[in-house]
Amino acid sequence: METTQMLESIEKVLKPFAQSFNRPSAERLDAVVKAEDLKAAVKAMVDAKWLYLSTITGLDIPAPADQPDAEGHIEALYHFCEGEAIATLRVSVPYSHPVFPSVCEFMPSATLGERELMEMFGVVVENTPSNERLVLPEDWPQGVYPLRKSFTGLNKG
Amino acid sequence: MEKTSDGKFIVPIGAQHPALKEPGHFEFAVEGEIVVGASVRLGYVHRGIEKGCENRNWIQAMYLTERVCGICSHIHATAFALATEKLAGVEVPARAQAIRVLISELERIHSHMLWLGVAAHEGGFDTLFMYSWRDRETVMDLLEAVTGNRVNYSANVIGGVKFDISPEQKETILKGIEFLEERSQHYMEVVTTDETFTGRTRGIGTMPYDDAIRLGAAGPTLRASGVARDVRTDSPYAGYKLFPVNIITDTAGDLDARFIVRIKELFESYRLVREILDNLPEGELSIRVPRRIPAGEAIQRVEAPRGELFYFVQSEGGENPSRVKIRTPSLLNWASITNFAPGHKLADMPMILAGIDPCFSCNDRMITVRDVRTGQVSNLEDLKIR
Amino acid sequence: MNNLTVPPLLALLVFPGGLFLLASGLVYEFVDRKLIARFQNRQGPRWFQPLADVVKLLAKEEITPSGASRGLFIILPVIALTAALTAALYVPLAGFAPSFSFRGDVVVTLYLLSAMTLCLGLAGANTADRFSLIGATRTLTQLFSYEAPFLLALLGPAIAAGSWQISEINTYASGQWWMIITQPIGFLIAMVGLMGKLELPPFDAPEAETEIVAGALTEYSGRGFALFRLGKDVELVIGLTLIAAFYMGGLANPLDFLWKTLVLLLVAAGLQSLFARLRIDQTVGMWWRIGALLGLVQLLAILVGRFAGPWITGLF
Repeated sequence: METTQMLESIEKVLKPFAQSFNRPSAERLDAVVKAEDLKAAVKAMVDAKWLYLSTITGLDIPAPADQPDAEGHIEALYHFCEGEAIATLRVSVPYSHPVFPSVCEFMPSATLGERELMEMFGVVVENTPSNERLVLPEDWPQGVYPLRKSFTGLNKG
Repeated sequence: MEKTSDGKFIVPIGAQHPALKEPGHFEFAVEGEIVVGASVRLGYVHRGIEKGCENRNWIQAMYLTERVCGICSHIHATAFALATEKLAGVEVPARAQAIRVLISELERIHSHMLWLGVAAHEGGFDTLFMYSWRDRETVMDLLEAVTGNRVNYSANVIGGVKFDISPEQKETILKGIEFLEERSQHYMEVVTTDETFTGRTRGIGTMPYDDAIRLGAAGPTLRASGVARDVRTDSPYAGYKLFPVNIITDTAGDLDARFIVRIKELFESYRLVREILDNLPEGELSIRVPRRIPAGEAIQRVEAPRGELFYFVQSEGGENPSRVKIRTPSLLNWASITNFAPGHKLADMPMILAGIDPCFSCNDRMITVRDVRTGQVSNLEDLKIR
Repeated sequence: MNNLTVPPLLALLVFPGGLFLLASGLVYEFVDRKLIARFQNRQGPRWFQPLADVVKLLAKEEITPSGASRGLFIILPVIALTAALTAALYVPLAGFAPSFSFRGDVVVTLYLLSAMTLCLGLAGANTADRFSLIGATRTLTQLFSYEAPFLLALLGPAIAAGSWQISEINTYASGQWWMIITQPIGFLIAMVGLMGKLELPPFDAPEAETEIVAGALTEYSGRGFALFRLGKDVELVIGLTLIAAFYMGGLANPLDFLWKTLVLLLVAAGLQSLFARLRIDQTVGMWWRIGALLGLVQLLAILVGRFAGPWITGLF
């Protein structure tokens, strides 16, 4: 199937779960999904034979400097690839409640990405099969999340 | 000595182990010689590089990404450059794209030959190891002739390449390729007909088609199980639109198939290199790109020697990237090991590990934590004493 | 054939046993490594490398791992080397007549050679380390697999000579067609068996570097390691001497000894470079299936030749 057709058909599949769609480029589709709809959306993708979750990208979006009362967000991008097409599920959670559901039930290879999200961004992934450290050393301090913008280095005393 | 309650004990392979010349760690629970459980703690490309890119400008960031891996340095820089060029909305000249592909293929040749030697060494076949590394010197010399360095070629700039290929260099490369092709024929013969070798590779570490897809394997490991997935054909980038590639697959899915796929890929690379050199498009070597890259997000997937390499680059319109996410192919292949390792003998482990062509610098550091079956945890201190 | 003789004490300590044997062990190790290197298109070590290795090892600190019996840890390498050196007394080393010779000494010699392998296995088991344990298991497993065919292969010439005394077999062999021609299977088994005994590739599963670090000797460094290595070198020389004496027409004098053993070393080096390492189960399988079978076939052929031969010729 041609790339545009593939993206169109997956957009239809995701319609019940997504809040909005975007086409940043010819081969990419972004679908904004709420955290509570994430599992259903992933299941829908798997059922539609999009079986390759290439990776999960985490983004830290702190509150804008001129709105100190607003809240920062962590956004996770679940990139599914099929041929040339890349369909990305974008899920955003606030700092105050940084909880994602695990999608490993349908996509076992997601465990690596979820572990990274947890240790680098400080989110909680519910029911994830493993929450061992992926890359940080054992003696890395708890509660310090290196990929957050607020992290500028470990000051060892 | 570490003994579990039911008489098995854990044999660590790594982090300090003569088999793995780079730091990496797997733990296998064994009963006698049979592996009954395998666990791997995964490292990552991270090493601070993703974060480091955020503090550097676009050009510096590209040099940083090149240092993710020594063996596949060029492909990392290429992916980053391509993603950035997408954000900047520039069209890189055809000649530059072709040269990028040329160097990528030479890098692939180098990587596969290196791997051939290492895998042979893991199997105790030192003669093959020595010969293949001797021949690999040829491609290293070619790369040095073109780029000035044996690894970390720094051939890219954002917007194109730095080096051109002169007619003399073209002749040198063609001669080198001819020699390598003859040698590769020989290796193909060894890998398929040598009895002691096939005794160590046929039927070992078999991963069937469905498992390969389910476990998310990548690269030659995936293609050896019959899955025809290759970013160069699925989603052609840089010069691959002009110079298409044939996907190499094998159906056996075992260790021998992985050898065969990689050697066949060598032949495909030789063909590509010749085709590019004969049809190098005329044009500039690079196009100017502004210091500040327009805001946006770009995704670039490329086919590294080990499989699909994924780059996500985000810009907020500034001089530095605001987020660079790198997912290397080796990461995808680790999971498959824990699945098909049990049931094999301990002696097969190094070759199985070598079979997925692990790139440790792409995966930083690994420390095994737990045995799959018994849940026993060894901490870093225990393992250090070993 | 009358070999020259050397007074026993001199033979034991200096020549051709003792110091001379140790020195030739080092020389043979060098030749072996150099040949393999050249086969692999490498330079290889310089002539004094094995000597340098031994000197360095003797100067290193010996660390006894905790959990190992210290007494055993220290004494086992000594026993291993001693056994190997003692075996030299019964073989026509350097073409000289064996210092001690008695009926049945071929069995004693083979036992002494195996003693070293047993020491290796014990040393590995003694060290409470997962790598050594696996290495020790593999060493002993390998011992059980090649020992029977190897014995058969060396007994073949003994039966043909009608004697269990090495010096007599030596004399007998020099008066015959080379037994490499009349008992080719036996020669093959003996040669390959020697490689198994010495844990040379492709039978180096017991010390597979890429799997179990160094097998039984993982925790040995310094003096103990040097002694084990010397023991292996000495065994190499003795093994080659035996095979040359039995299968290549006996050893009449030093020059004879030199060229015959070196030819065998060339063959061994070639075999080492040609193959990938066999897994331990493949080694065992190969020996018990092919090795033992061939050994028996060869034995049968010899028996038939010896007993039925005269009877058959007597018919005409």
